[in-house]
Formats: sequence, structure tokens, C-alpha cells
Amino acid sequence: MPEVVVSIGPQHPALKEPVNFKVIADGEKIVRLELDLSYNHRGIEKAAEQRDFIRVIPLLERVCGICSHSHATVFSKGIEEIMGLEIPPRAQYIRTIIAELERMHSHLLWLGVAAHVIGFNTLFMWTWRDREAVQDTLEEMSGNRVHYGMNEIGGVRRDLTPAQVEAALSRLPALEERIRKYVEMVNSEETMLIRFRGVGTMSREEALKYGAVGPTARASGVDYDVRRDDPYLAYAEVPWNVITDTRGDVYGRTRVRIGELWESTQIVRSCLENIPAGPIRVDTPKKAPKGEILSRYEAPRGELAHFIRTNGTDRVERVDIRTPTLANWTSVAVCLVNQNIADIPVIVAAIDPCLSCTSRLTVVNREGSPVVAVNRVLPVKRDPDSGEDKERR
Amino acid sequence: MTDPVFILLYIFLFPGFFFLIAYALVLAYLDRKIAARMQQRVGPPFYQPFADLLKMLGKEVINPDGVDWRVFDAIPLVALAAVMTAYLYVPIIGYSPFAFPGDLVVVLYLMALPTIALFLLGWLSRNIFSAIGGIRAVTQLFIYEVPFFLALLTPAIMAGSWSISEIVVWQQHNLWIVFFQPIGFIVALIGLQAKLERTPFDIPEAETEIVAGPWTELTGRRLAVMDLTLDISLVVGSALVAALFLGGPLVPWTLSPPWLNSIAGFLLFLAKTLSVLLILSSIKVATGRIRIDQLNDIGWKYIASAAVVQVGIVLVINYLWVTP
Amino acid sequence: MSVLREMLENLLSRPITIMYPKEKLPIPEAFRGRVAITDDKCIGCSKCSLVCPAQVISMTDGPREVEFRGKNLARKKRPQVKLFKCIRCGLCERHCPTGAIHLEHVHAGSGTDREVVVT
Repeated sequence: MPEVVVSIGPQHPALKEPVNFKVIADGEKIVRLELDLSYNHRGIEKAAEQRDFIRVIPLLERVCGICSHSHATVFSKGIEEIMGLEIPPRAQYIRTIIAELERMHSHLLWLGVAAHVIGFNTLFMWTWRDREAVQDTLEEMSGNRVHYGMNEIGGVRRDLTPAQVEAALSRLPALEERIRKYVEMVNSEETMLIRFRGVGTMSREEALKYGAVGPTARASGVDYDVRRDDPYLAYAEVPWNVITDTRGDVYGRTRVRIGELWESTQIVRSCLENIPAGPIRVDTPKKAPKGEILSRYEAPRGELAHFIRTNGTDRVERVDIRTPTLANWTSVAVCLVNQNIADIPVIVAAIDPCLSCTSRLTVVNREGSPVVAVNRVLPVKRDPDSGEDKERR
Repeated sequence: MTDPVFILLYIFLFPGFFFLIAYALVLAYLDRKIAARMQQRVGPPFYQPFADLLKMLGKEVINPDGVDWRVFDAIPLVALAAVMTAYLYVPIIGYSPFAFPGDLVVVLYLMALPTIALFLLGWLSRNIFSAIGGIRAVTQLFIYEVPFFLALLTPAIMAGSWSISEIVVWQQHNLWIVFFQPIGFIVALIGLQAKLERTPFDIPEAETEIVAGPWTELTGRRLAVMDLTLDISLVVGSALVAALFLGGPLVPWTLSPPWLNSIAGFLLFLAKTLSVLLILSSIKVATGRIRIDQLNDIGWKYIASAAVVQVGIVLVINYLWVTP
Repeated sequence: MSVLREMLENLLSRPITIMYPKEKLPIPEAFRGRVAITDDKCIGCSKCSLVCPAQVISMTDGPREVEFRGKNLARKKRPQVKLFKCIRCGLCERHCPTGAIHLEHVHAGSGTDREVVVT
């Protein structure tokens, strides 16, 4: 067959959120990929400029449903640092517990979605069943299964009662047992192995060149985790390991995520058992001093960065959100070349895409004309000496 | 036996088309229920496939631009007619009244028609997803059809006849053929799973990759007819495997009143097809979908060679048995 | 194989689906449900209306007398919540000085009466 354009999206059963892939394929092999990421743009960065510090936190929480605590925490962390506030340790521990529980539920969700994408619906049903235990814990602690609303500037909104700590600790052993089973399943289940191994391989140099972050990069051997390299919350006081892998294919990313699941259960257990007593918030001034800060956080999908600029009022002047999925799309465009059409959903699902997080692009035209907001990432050629690198962020 | 009223009742009532459609819906329900329970879900109620069929028959039919709607209407009906005809030659309550030497080949040919129909539908819908799905359907047909035919040919060699009913009668006097040919049984089950396009071989219909493949542009009554075709293929396929390997509907000893014999045979037929369905459902639940080039690899390297080995073994057994 | 064994065990045991509405799961204490206002405690300070991120609380007429910190005050306004637009973040509950507006421990229901939609 000559080259055909297979347009995946914006509505497609493989996609959870709208995105447009124009795949130019020769038979079953992919030649080129063009992405259009603009479908979920909601103007959140602009809306955040008009809300004061109390009202902006729920807005930023709702950038994404699965990583909502990440956005709220990284913003609060940044503003607290600008204001020069010292958060009580109990609040740090509570924020860490919720953050790791969020990572657990996100990785379990991802495992189910990865299994569903290759048609293995049984593992999808089982992982989402186990995810219910994490959701129940989160609902008991915060009142809602997503959009926890635990953060405020200056600390945490509600405290953990001893009954909640008890209930959460009692759910952990069953989860650990299931995670061990999933490790065994992923290593021995034949259809998963042949669909995941050798698919979408990315070397360490390519991961560094194209700016991949999170488990996508750690599976290619890039040993970088914001929780260790730029510590925040309670991560410096709790023992845990960074999981890396050298394979760089979808199987490697699966192993990294399951390893992180295990580490998260250990962090949650350690924090729940050693949580210090004390107040959960401090009084905050209404206005923030003038300043700029880049606040970073390890979201379940990778490194999340908020650039915040304040100007002495009780609102931010500018908040710019760089989500991990935005950094990982280029690696998808790179990994997809010369793979089969059947591997598109697998490789896309392997970066754990969250389009709600991603859709806020600005392109600066280097030729000197004014800044234009464009929503297209152009195709990337994999060959390193192909001339200009056509990727623009 | 040649009484025309009897023949008409056999074709249309029992065990003819009425029973066939009812049993197809029952097997579809059991398949979904077993798969759901294995995944710790509840599963659909017993009337679900019937309700789906009725609902789809009443839905609007959408003709895509530039597609010849008469051909689109006709192709699912041709596929349905093919599998329903194939059903008549498979023994349900005993010797089939339409049996003749060579009906095994006719049944296998008629069972391959739905896949050709899917390819035609994929090709004629002016839709890239359907075209890719149709091509995958025919590629898959080439890959699994050779081992499937070989595996179903070995019981014919062993029984010395090309008629399914004769093979069943041969098994009544000797053991079930599955004891002589376990490899053939496994290859036949894998081939059947591939023919019915169920996981791990649901490559033409891969929902997360190509929307619904050749099924994408089927709507309304065409989708109902095509779904029913696939359900009936499940019945005919499992009945065929049960007849050729598991002894079919004949009891090893004849009971005295002939109607008791028929009833016992019918119950055995139900039990055997249900066990084949149990195995097929378990395979569907336990695996994920593989790629078409991986199927090419596995199909020719392992499945086809297993089938050829089985043919060799059967020829050796026959030679040792028949000659001395 | 672990998958096959688990499949068989699941086949022979009950499914884990909670058959709502015949069975229900207990709702946790901290659950953020429908907004409710206790009129005797509300002192009409409008703080809930100011902090609501979705701007669904408006202050309407509701003259009454309340007791606050030992004094009897005459208040003119009471809050009114558009329940269907509320995002249940709980900021009103967090910032109310008397605890008059709070999130109830129930799932918000549907209904046709006006009380369900506006409180």
C-alpha cells in the first residue's frame, strides 16, 4: 500500500482524552507522525491570574484529575517559599502521604490502561479493583476520591485522625501482596511480554536529547528523580529508592512503574507510622512579596514545574505550568517511527499521557515576530543529521 | 427419514434454525458470564444477547458516502446463510440426515465464508480503518487456516471417511479421537479461536488500534446479522470440534428405546459443546492480543508444524494398525 | 501460571461488585457532600461567598437576629448556594467563622423540588 494517512483521534477508542495523531503509514510501518495537542485547552493559566491565593488552589487542582494533588502542592510550595513561610512537619508528612497515595493510584490506573490497550482486559479489571483500596483510603482522609483539597498556602486543611491512620495501615498489606503478584504477572505473562518487549525503544542519549522525564526517562537509564535530587516535603527523612531500568522499551517502563508502586507503599507506611504531632498550618500573610520562583515536583508522570511570578498583591501575576506529559510527547514522536500501526496505542500509553495536563502551549517564533500561541508540535525526524530540528515547544 | 414434513421440521425447528439461534444466544451469554466471573465482575443477565439482537435489528442503518448499500446489505446475509447451512451437516442428535461423504470439506469451506465477507466489507467501506482491518482478517485467515484444516483432517484419516457423521460413528466403536490425537485437538482449538476472532487473535477487530476494523461501518440490522453470524459460528465450530474429537452426540452403548438414545445423545452434545466453550472462554480471558506479524511468526513456526507432526503421527498409526 | 489460578479462584467465588442500590458502601466521615446552611449560626459575614472558587454562593435577603460572641446582632443577608454548580471543594466550610455552612455527609441527590437545587 502506498503511504496513507491514518488519523487517530481526536475521537478514538484508544484515547482517553482528545488528541490528534496524523500517522503517515506505509502498510503497517509508520513513516512519520504529526501531533495536535490543543483540544483540552481551557485557559487555566489566565484564570489563575484573577484569583487570590485562597481561590486559586482549587482551580489549579483541577488541571488534571489524576495528578491534582501534584499541581496544588507544587503551587503551594512555590508561594510558601516566596512568602518565606516554614511549614510545620506534620503538614509536610500529610502532604507526602497524600502525594504517594496519589502516585499509587495513578500507577495502578496506568497498569490497567496498558493492559487494556493490548486487549488484556483481565489485568485491567484486576488492577482497577485493587486501586479501589487506595481510593477508599484517600476518600477517608480527604473526603473525595480525586481532587483531594488537602492543600492550602501555609499547610494542610484537615488533619489525620488516628482511626484514619489505622484504617490506611490495615489496607497496605493486601496491596503489597497484589503488587508482588503483578510483578510476577508482568514478568511471566507471554502476550504482555511479546507486546511490550522491544517496542518503542529509546536510548539514554535520545532520552536526554529530547527531554523525556519521569518513568519514561528512568526506564532508559536516566537516573533523575526530583524527590531525591531537589528534596521537598518529607522525602529527605524517609528511606526510599529511585527505580531505574536500562531497557528503554515499554517493558522497562512497566517495570519502573511497578517498582515505584512498591516504593510508594513503603513510603506511605513509613510516614503513617512516624508522623510527628503538631500543628497542621501556619498563618499566612494576605499578600505575597514580589518575586519569581520555579517550583518543581515529581508527579506520577515525571517532573512537574510551575513558574510563578508575584508582584506584591494577593494574586499571582503569571503562573506557567510545564507538565511532564508535555515534555514526553517528543519522545513519542521519536519512538513511533518504524514501528507498526498496532504499536501506536502501546507506545502512547507507555508515557502515561494526560492531555488535560498538557494542553497549554506557547510557541515563540524565533524570527522576531510577536509571540504566537500555537498548538501544534511538528514532526521530529529521528535521524540526528537531518538538518534543522523541527521540534518547537 | 425422507419424509418431507420431518425434513422441514428438522431444518427449521429442532435441531434446526430455531434451536440454532436460541443455542447461539445461550452460548454467547455463557461466554460473557464466564469471562465476567473470572474477572470478578457480575456479567450480563441471561437475556442480554437476545436483547442486543432485538435492539440492533431496530436501529437506524447508516450508509456511508459512496458505498453501494445493496452490496452492504447482502454481504452479512450471505455470511449468515453460509454458517447456517454448515450447521445442517453437523450431527446434533445422532446421524445427520443430510450427511454424505465429503461433507467435512463442505462445512470447512462454508465456515471460511464469514471471514471473506468481513474482508469484503472492510474493502468496500471507504474507511482506512476498515481497509486495514479487512486486510488483517484475510492475512489471519491464511495463517491459521492451514493448521486448522490439517488438524481437522487427521480424524478423517483415522476414521477412514470424509463424512462427519461417519467419523462420529467410528468413535462410538473405538475411543474418542482426542485420546489418539491430543496435539490435533489443541491445534484445532487454537484454530477455532482464530477463526472466531477472539483474543488473542482478535487482530482484525482490535478496538484500541483501528476502531472496529471491518465492523466499523456496519450499523443496525447489518450489525445484528453479522453478530449473529459470529455467534452461530461459535456453535458450529464447537459442535464440529466436539463431533470430530470428543465423540459427538452418540453414546458408547445403545439404549433400548431409540428416543431415549436421541435424548441422551443430545444431552451429551450439549455437555461437550459447553466444555469446548469453557476452554475457549478461558483462553480469551487469560491472554492479550498479539500483533499480526507475531501471529505470522507463531502460526507458521509452531502451530503449522505441530499440525504437520500430528498428520505424520496419524499416518504412522494407521499404517501400523491397518497393515498387520 | 498465576493468571490461570486466579481466574479459576474468581470463577468459583462471588464477584466483588457492590450491587447498588441493594447494597451500599458506608460513606466516610470526612466525605464532602451537599452544602447545608444552619441559619441560627450564620452571622452573614459573606466570607463563604468571597472564598468560593466557583462563585456559586450569593448573599440574599434574610433578615434575622443571631447571637455571636455574647451579643445579639441583627443580620440582613444569608447565603444562597447553587447546589448543582457547587464543586464541593469545602472552602466555605473551612473559612466560615461559626461553622454555619458545612458539607453534609450524604451524596447529593437529584430532584425536581427547588430545595434540592438551591439552598
